[in-house]
Amino acid sequence: MAPNPSLALLFGLLSPLLPAQEVDRELFEKSIRPILVERCVACHNPAVLEGGLDLTSAEGFAKGATTGPLLHPEAPERSRLLAAISYEERVKMPPDGRLEPEALDALRAWVEMGAPWPNNAGPVAVSAPSNATPAFTEEQRSYWAFQPIGDPTPPAVAGSSASAIDRFLLAKLEAEGLEPAPPAGKLTLLRRVTYDLTGLPPTEDEIRNFVSDDSPSAFEAVVERLLASPRYGERWGRHWLDVARYADSTGNDEDHRYPHAWRYRDYVIRAFNEDLPYDRFVQEQVAGDLLPAEDGGEVNVRGIVATGFLALGPKALAQQDKKRMLYDVYDEQLDVVSKAFFGLTVTCARCHDHKFDPIPTRDYYSMVSIFARTQSFADATTHVAKLLSRPLVPESTYEIYRRAQNRILHKKADIQQVVDQALARRNEQLLPETEAYMLAAERVYGGSEDTDADADAEAVANSLGLEPDLLESWVAYLTPRDIPRPHMLAWREASPGARSEQARAYGEQDRARVAVWNVSIEERWSEILSLRPEMEEPPPRRPEVLEGTDRFFYDVHFHEDGPMAVSEEAYEDVFSAETFTRLRSLGEQLEALEKAAPPTPPMATAVAEGEPVLQKVFLRGDYRSLGEDAPVGFVSILGDDHPPPDPSGSGRLELAQWLTDPEHPLTARVMVNRVWQWHFGEGLVRTPSNFGKMGEAPSHPDLLDFLARRFVESGWSVKDLHRRILRSSAYRMSSDITPEAYARDPENRFLSHFSRRRLAVEELRDGLLAIDGSLDLSMGGTLDDGVGTDLENSNERLSLDPLTIHRRLVYLPLRRANLPTLLGLFDFGDAVNSVAKRASTNVPPQALFMMNSDFVAERAGNLAASLLEETDGDVAQRIDRAYLTILNRYATAEEIESGGDYLEQFVHDGPGDLAVHDAWKSFCKILIASNEFIYVD
Amino acid sequence: MYKELFRKPVNRRGLLRGAAYGFGLFGLSDLLGDKTAFAATAQNPMAPRAPHFTPRAKRVIFLFMHGGPSSIDIFDPKPRLYRDHGKPLPFKRPLAFDDEHPAGPLMKPLWDFHPGGESGIPVSDLFPHLRDVVDELCIIRSMVGEGVDHGAALLQTFTGTSTFTRPSMGSWTIYGLGSENENLPGFITIKPTLSHGGAKNWSSAFLPGIYQGTAIGHAGLEIETLRAEPIEYLIQKELTGEQQRYELEMLENINRRHAAMRRYDPELEARIQSFELAARMQVEAPEAFNVESESQATKKLYGLDDPVTADFAWQCLLARRLAERDVRYIQCTHSYKWDQHTNLFSLHSQNALEVDRPIAGLIRDLKSRDLLKDTLVIWAGEFGRTPVSEGGDGRDHNPYGYTIWMAGGGVKAGFVYGATDDIGYHAVEDRMHIHDFHATVLHLLGMDHEKLTHRFSGRDFRLTDVAGVVAEKILA
Repeated sequence: MAPNPSLALLFGLLSPLLPAQEVDRELFEKSIRPILVERCVACHNPAVLEGGLDLTSAEGFAKGATTGPLLHPEAPERSRLLAAISYEERVKMPPDGRLEPEALDALRAWVEMGAPWPNNAGPVAVSAPSNATPAFTEEQRSYWAFQPIGDPTPPAVAGSSASAIDRFLLAKLEAEGLEPAPPAGKLTLLRRVTYDLTGLPPTEDEIRNFVSDDSPSAFEAVVERLLASPRYGERWGRHWLDVARYADSTGNDEDHRYPHAWRYRDYVIRAFNEDLPYDRFVQEQVAGDLLPAEDGGEVNVRGIVATGFLALGPKALAQQDKKRMLYDVYDEQLDVVSKAFFGLTVTCARCHDHKFDPIPTRDYYSMVSIFARTQSFADATTHVAKLLSRPLVPESTYEIYRRAQNRILHKKADIQQVVDQALARRNEQLLPETEAYMLAAERVYGGSEDTDADADAEAVANSLGLEPDLLESWVAYLTPRDIPRPHMLAWREASPGARSEQARAYGEQDRARVAVWNVSIEERWSEILSLRPEMEEPPPRRPEVLEGTDRFFYDVHFHEDGPMAVSEEAYEDVFSAETFTRLRSLGEQLEALEKAAPPTPPMATAVAEGEPVLQKVFLRGDYRSLGEDAPVGFVSILGDDHPPPDPSGSGRLELAQWLTDPEHPLTARVMVNRVWQWHFGEGLVRTPSNFGKMGEAPSHPDLLDFLARRFVESGWSVKDLHRRILRSSAYRMSSDITPEAYARDPENRFLSHFSRRRLAVEELRDGLLAIDGSLDLSMGGTLDDGVGTDLENSNERLSLDPLTIHRRLVYLPLRRANLPTLLGLFDFGDAVNSVAKRASTNVPPQALFMMNSDFVAERAGNLAASLLEETDGDVAQRIDRAYLTILNRYATAEEIESGGDYLEQFVHDGPGDLAVHDAWKSFCKILIASNEFIYVD
Repeated sequence: MYKELFRKPVNRRGLLRGAAYGFGLFGLSDLLGDKTAFAATAQNPMAPRAPHFTPRAKRVIFLFMHGGPSSIDIFDPKPRLYRDHGKPLPFKRPLAFDDEHPAGPLMKPLWDFHPGGESGIPVSDLFPHLRDVVDELCIIRSMVGEGVDHGAALLQTFTGTSTFTRPSMGSWTIYGLGSENENLPGFITIKPTLSHGGAKNWSSAFLPGIYQGTAIGHAGLEIETLRAEPIEYLIQKELTGEQQRYELEMLENINRRHAAMRRYDPELEARIQSFELAARMQVEAPEAFNVESESQATKKLYGLDDPVTADFAWQCLLARRLAERDVRYIQCTHSYKWDQHTNLFSLHSQNALEVDRPIAGLIRDLKSRDLLKDTLVIWAGEFGRTPVSEGGDGRDHNPYGYTIWMAGGGVKAGFVYGATDDIGYHAVEDRMHIHDFHATVLHLLGMDHEKLTHRFSGRDFRLTDVAGVVAEKILA
C-alpha cells in the first residue's frame, strides 16, 4: 500500500520516497508503538488482558477484544478502535484521559491505511505503571537469592572430625550414595595448591621440603607460605581483573589507550596481597574518590585509582550520537557493577522489564542515573570523546603544574608568531613574482612543445633573476602527475597563449588568500596577548586551513614540499639573521621553561562526581522517548529501606554502602562463590555472575550461606576464606574418578573427587618461563611509553607480545581491539565482557603452538642446556630432574627407561654435542607438550 | 597417523613400550584417515554440518574496501549532481560524522560513467577492469547502515552491531556450517585492519574460540613478510620431518600412558587428537599459501607482476587458492585507504588503481575454474560518501544509502538492485539494511538467519539480532 501524501506530511520524519514496507515499519515504530506503550498495553497485555484485548502483538491486535474485532472490515473509519479513542461513544479509551490530538491523528491515519503491523516488529513492551512502586509477587519475593543469608549449622556426620565444609559436602554425598575420593598424593597436592594460589609451579626445593616434612601441619605451612607470597596477588588479582573486564584501551571503534589503567591493575594485585577487606575493596571501586584516605592524606590516591573499575570499560569514542554514547557507557558501568558485585543481570531491563528476574525498567534507570551523575569523560562532546584522567596530587600541586604547562604553550605561541611574521614578510617580497616562477618552471619541466625541454632550472633562474632553489621547488610542484590534480587542470591545460593569464589568475588568488590568512593570524595574536601576563588559559588554537577548500594555497604554503613552505631546518637559510637570532633565544627560553616545569603528576584513569541529572525512564531504551521519573535508587526487590541518596551527589557513595551492608543478601554470597569456583573449577552456583532465575540454583545452599556468613564475620577477609577452604579434605581429595561416581554424577556437582583442570594461559606461559628460569618477577608499573600512541594499522595498535617479554602476563597491557594471539588461543576471554569463568578448549592451533612455537622450543632448549650442565652425565638423574621440573614429580623406573631409549635413538646428523642437546631439547618439549603438564590433577 | 604424514617408518623400543597400554599406538590414525571419519568425530566442533536448506553458495570471499569508497563516483550515477553542482543540500543533513564543519555544496562525480558489458550497467572510469566483468556482478545500490564513524560502521558491517561485542559474520558462518577442510582454518582474514574495532571484526565473541577468524598478518605488514609464515606456528623450523614424527609419537605414547591411569576424562583423549589434527595442518597448509606456484599468466591476470597492484593481487589470488580448498569464509582487506575527506580525486584514483585489476582478475579466474557458481564474492566498504563536498575537494561518510556488490554464489548476474534518491544520499528503493544484508548472505549459504542462534548469558543471540529480511529479488 502506497502512503498518501497527507500521511507523508503528517509523519514529517519519514522520507517520502521510502518503499511501502519500510514506510509501514517506520510509521509503526515511530508513531504507533509509542502510543501503545504509553497508553494501552499496561492493561491490554497477555497477563492483564483487560477486555480480552492484547495489544502487544499483531496477533492480539487482529484477534480483537471480547466485544469483537477492532477494525471494520469494509469501512476503517467506522472501526471499534477509532470509536473508543474518539471519546465520543460509550467505551472511552484510554480511561485515564483522551489521547493528544497528534496521537489521535496518527492512529486514525494508521487505521485508514489498514493498520499495517510490520513483520518482525517484536512485541510491544509493557512498562511499569506510572509512579507506583512495582508490586512483586510472593513467588518473586521468596526467590532463594533474595533471602537473608542464613546461619546453618554444619550437619553431623557419623564418626568424623571433619571440617565444617566437609560436613556439608559429606552429608550431600551420603544422600546421593557417593563416597569421597581418597586424599591426593603429596606431590599432586603441592602442584595443585601452588598453581592455584600463585599461578606458578612449585620449585625443586619446595618439592623436596614438602616431601621431607612429615609434620601434620606441613600442608598448612605450605598454604601460609603461598598466601604470603607476592605471587598470590598476581594470580588472584588476575581472577578479579577478569570479572572487572580490565584492559588498557577503550576497544570498540577507536581503541584509544587508557594510559593510566595499570594503576588500577596494581591496586587490585595489592588489595589481594594485603588482604584488603572485601567490603572496603567494593566500596573503593564504586566510590573510592568520595571516601577519606585511610592514611589521612589530602588526596585518597588509592580510592581514586580504584574507581578505574568503573572507568576502564569499553567505549565507542567516535559514536556521533553523543547522548547514546554516554548512555551506552552508563549501561556498561551498571552491567559490570551488577554482575560483579551482586550477580544480577540488571541491564536486561534497559528496554523492557527484566524478562526473568523481578527487575523493572524503572530500577534500571534509577541505577543508571547514578552513572549519569558521574563524570566519565573529560569532554564527551568532541568529535572523538576525550577520556578523563584525574591527578593523584593535591589540587594546589596540580595547579602549579598546569600553569607551567600554559607558560610553555605561550612560549611556543611566541615562537610561532615570529615565524609567521617572517613568513609574511617573505610572502610580501616573493609572491608578486609567482607568475614569473610558474612560467619559468613550465619552461623547465617542459609542459608544451614551445619550451626547451632540457632547460636547467639554475640556468633559467639566473637568466631571469629568480632564486634557483625556489624555482626548483616550483618545478617539482608544477610538474604534471600521472593522476592529474583537479586544482591544477586549468594550468595544465592552458594553451601557450593563455598561460601567462592563467599564471596571473593563480598568483592573484593566492595573494588574496594569503592576505586573509595574515589577518586571521594577527587576530589570534591579539587574543593571545589579551591572556597575558596571567597565562591562566592556554593560547587559542591556530586558525585551521581546510586543505581542500583552497588546495593551491594549502599546497604552496603548508605542504612540506610546497614552494613557499619553510621547514624548521631551513629557518637559518631563509630568514634574516635578526629573526633567526630571535628564534634561537626564544627556543632557549622554551627549553629553560620545559626544564623548570614540574614533571607530569601521577594520574589515574578514574571517574569523578558529575552534574545532577533528572533521570527519566527511556521507553524501549530510546532516550528520545521519555517515561516516568527514575530518581536514584537500587534494586527495589532487595528492599528500599535505605536512606535516599544525597541529591547533590551522584549516589555512588550510597550505592557502595548498600552493596556492602552485611545484610545484603547477594554481595557476600556472590564473592564466596567466586572464590570457591576459582579453587574447585565450578562454583556452588555454577553461574557466578548470574544468581537470577536464568542462573543455576546452588548445589549446596547451606554451605554457600555458611561460607558467606563466616566471610562477613571475618571482616570480609578473602585470605581467611582461602584458609577455610584449603583446610578442608575436599580440597585435598584425589582427582581419580570411580565408575560409580562417574555414572551418578558425571559433572561432579557433589564433589566426590577433585576436578582436573587445564592450566589457564597465564599459568601456562608464566609457568614455562618459571621452569626454565627466565621469568622476570619484578612487580607493577607500566610497560608502555608515554600516555598514548595511536597510529592507524601499525604495530602501535597491537598489544605487547607476551612471548618475547618475560614479565608476568598480568603486567602486560591489553589492547582490547587486538589482544595477543596467545591469549585468544588459550581462552583468555575478550577483556570486553566481564568474565566469570574461563573456557577451556582443546583445539589443533593450541597443539601447533606446543609443537612449533619458538617460545616452547626456547624453553625446552634452556632446560636441556641446564640439565646437561648441572648434573654429571647420569641419564637417569637427568630424566628424573626433567620430570621434577616440568611435571613436579619423580620419574618412574619405566619412564626413565623409555626416556633413555628415546634419547639414545634420536636421529641426528650433526656433531655429537649438538645431537645430545637436541635430543634432550626434544625430550623436554615432549614433557611440556604432554597432557600431564597442562592438566592439574 | 604421524607415519602417513612424515613418511618414514619408525620402529624403536621406546615407542613400542607404549603399546603395552592397550590403546593400539596409532589406532586413531585409521579413524582419521578420511573426511567422513573427520566429520564423524563427535568432539570436533569444526566438522561440516548440514545447512538448513540447499545452499546457493558454499563459501564467501569478502573484499573489504576500508575507509568508505564513494558509491556515487563509482556505481551509482546521479545526473542531478551535475545539474545542481555547487548548490546547497536540499534537505537537513542527517547525523553526520563531522558536524564541526559545515557541509559543503553538492559536488558532481569526479569521473565519467560508461555502460559496461552486455547488461550496459554503468561503472565509472575509476574501475575500467571491473566494468569489463560487470555482467557477473549484482550491484546493490541501496545499502543502509547506522554507523556514521568508521568504528561503528565496521563493527556493524561485520558483527551486526557496534554497541556490543558480538560474533562476526565469518564466525557465525563456520559455527553454522563447520569446515570441509580439516587442514585449514574455516575462516581466514588476510591482512585485516587493526583499527576501527580491529580483531573484534573477526572475533567469535561468545561463540567458542575456535570459530574466530585466523588472521594472515595485518594491514600494516608487507606481503613479503607474510609469505614466510602466513599462519603462526604452522612451520616447524628446527626439526626434520623424521625427528618431528619421532617426537610426536613419543608424545602420544606418554599421553596415552597418562590417560590410561586416569579414567573417564574425554578431555585427555580430545587433546591427543588435537595433536594429530595439528600435524596434518602443518603438512598440508603451506601448499595452500604457495601463491608463487601459480602460472605466469595467472599472476599477470591478477596484476601480481605490477608493484601497484601486487599487494591486493596477492590477497585475491590467495583467496582463490583458499576457496579452491574449501575454506568457508575468506576476507581480503584494502586498508585503510578509502577515507577521502579531501583530495578525493587523486587518492580514489590511486586506490582504484591498486584493486581494480586484481578484483577483475579474481572474478575471471573463479569463472574460468567454475568456482564462481558456488563462491559468493562480496565487495563493500563500511559506508559510502556524501553527495556534498567536504574540505573543498572531498566527501564525508554516508551510511544512509551506498553501493556494494556481490557476484557468483546464487545471486543474479548483471543485475542492479535498489536505488538511492536523486542525489545519492538516502536509499529509497529496496533498502538493504546491514541486517538484511546479513540475512541474505546467510540465506545464500543455506542458513535461516532466525534459526542460526547461540545461547549466551540466558538468551539466544543471532547475527541479525531481531531484524533482517532476505532480499529475495537478488536470488538467481
